[in-house]
Amino acid sequence: MSQTVTILGAAALRVGKWQAAPDAPTQKLEHEVLADLVIEAMQDAGLDRREIGSLTFSLPRPYTQQKYFGTFMANYLRLPCAGSVSEIMGNGMTAGLAFEGASNDIRLGRSRVALALGVNFETAISAAEHMMSSMRTTGDVDFHTPFGFTPISWYAMDAARYIHEFKSSREELASVAVKNRFHASLNPIAQFRKLISLEDVLAQPLIVEPLGLYEVPPRSDGAVCLVLADEDVARAVGRPYVRIKGRGFFHEGAHQINEVPNDMIALVAAQTAGRTAFAEAGVSPDEIDLAEVYAPCTIVEVLVSEALGFAPRGRGAGMARDGETTLGGRIPICTSGGLQSRGHPAYVTPFYSFVEILDQLRHRADERQVANARLALTCAELGNYNAALVHVLEAVH
Amino acid sequence: MSLPIIEVDRPRSYPPRVSAFTQRFWGALQEGRFETTRCTACERLTFPPKPFCPHCWSRNISWTPLSGRGKLYSQSVIHAAPAVFRAEAPYRVGIVDLDDGLRIATRILCETPPELDSPVEIIVFRYADGPLFGARPL
Repeated sequence: MSQTVTILGAAALRVGKWQAAPDAPTQKLEHEVLADLVIEAMQDAGLDRREIGSLTFSLPRPYTQQKYFGTFMANYLRLPCAGSVSEIMGNGMTAGLAFEGASNDIRLGRSRVALALGVNFETAISAAEHMMSSMRTTGDVDFHTPFGFTPISWYAMDAARYIHEFKSSREELASVAVKNRFHASLNPIAQFRKLISLEDVLAQPLIVEPLGLYEVPPRSDGAVCLVLADEDVARAVGRPYVRIKGRGFFHEGAHQINEVPNDMIALVAAQTAGRTAFAEAGVSPDEIDLAEVYAPCTIVEVLVSEALGFAPRGRGAGMARDGETTLGGRIPICTSGGLQSRGHPAYVTPFYSFVEILDQLRHRADERQVANARLALTCAELGNYNAALVHVLEAVH
Repeated sequence: MSLPIIEVDRPRSYPPRVSAFTQRFWGALQEGRFETTRCTACERLTFPPKPFCPHCWSRNISWTPLSGRGKLYSQSVIHAAPAVFRAEAPYRVGIVDLDDGLRIATRILCETPPELDSPVEIIVFRYADGPLFGARPL
């Protein structure tokens, strides 16, 4: 019989710019940062280090000097493991898949306690240089990259199509950025916490039309450690925890665009993965108390909220504008501040979604607490939502 | 019939790699022809051209010309560009649904914001070191 997976503890670095310039006299080193979080997360979980059986790391950025980071960390922490030690890579979904790796070891009974953890340091590299690498991650290196597409330019084309099809507007989409900044203002680990207005968002320089600086993700460093355990372990500890109630994954078999013309902004992968996760959890979208979705740009949050069934097609932007996705609204989305304001250390971003959900479902989110939060959803993606990984999570007190 | 050709007096910023298989595509494009592969088993087109059919995995394919016409599905102007494209920024890109039933992404040659769903034609930019395709409103 497979085991039920729970999340029992977490620790996260405040998202921001931490990476030192290569010639700085002292460096902030990834393994020192992460080891500190591992100890903190295990204290939060109330578990002894000897119970850990698996370490599933998100792959660090290529700018991290220490290679084979996962096995290096097993040494640094002196952690013999009988489950597995691995580093996972899956574009924007990297940390989601690392979470899956840790979950699977528990589900299969290979480990009773597994850490899903990682660090993403990249801000010492300029955006223009970083894009020399990231432009080759989204699309076809020979048939797309030569035209100068960047990762967020695909989302910008989603925005243009959404505005065209549903008579929406940049203003309506930009309301998502204002909402997310408000949420981030209440989150001590968010990168940008100063409140902004719709006028502020619209006054920013354009990055990829129709999106400006505040409607796209910042560059960020971050690090997270999550403690997963089988439910018997979680029960024995006696603290509130989060149970994974449903999970869905779908890759549409396309990369950025489908060569057979389709409805690009329906986000078929999120629709399909969402249906699977809801069915496994035995709940419907209207029962979800809050959602933490991977949405680099404002438009993506709108599209994925529609694809997951939180809004009818074409209503996602209006729903954000009307405050339905704000704290206190019908379905609060990205109470952490989302990728625009909490920040986007890409390879660990989905870990931060679980950190937020763990805070919310254990009722430890202070000023940004969703009242009586019991059921939550996370969603990770890659490409232009060509693949989605959805989890439905439940509070256990 | 040749596509409209625009000569560009500099090398491409990020040239595509050419394989023994795709050199036929790039060679034809240099001469103003826009081609791809069609499966001789299930008869479906694919783009980019491939040495097999992604729909049925048959290796029996043939080269076929494309109409060079389509509709603009979406577009954007990129202001924040990777280092090699910085001198070109801002530049317009888009997604085009070809009349042949294929979706491609490419540069869009157009000064003013083009209407989505409006007709476009495929053009050839002939750079000093080789060609790239693009699209512009009809």
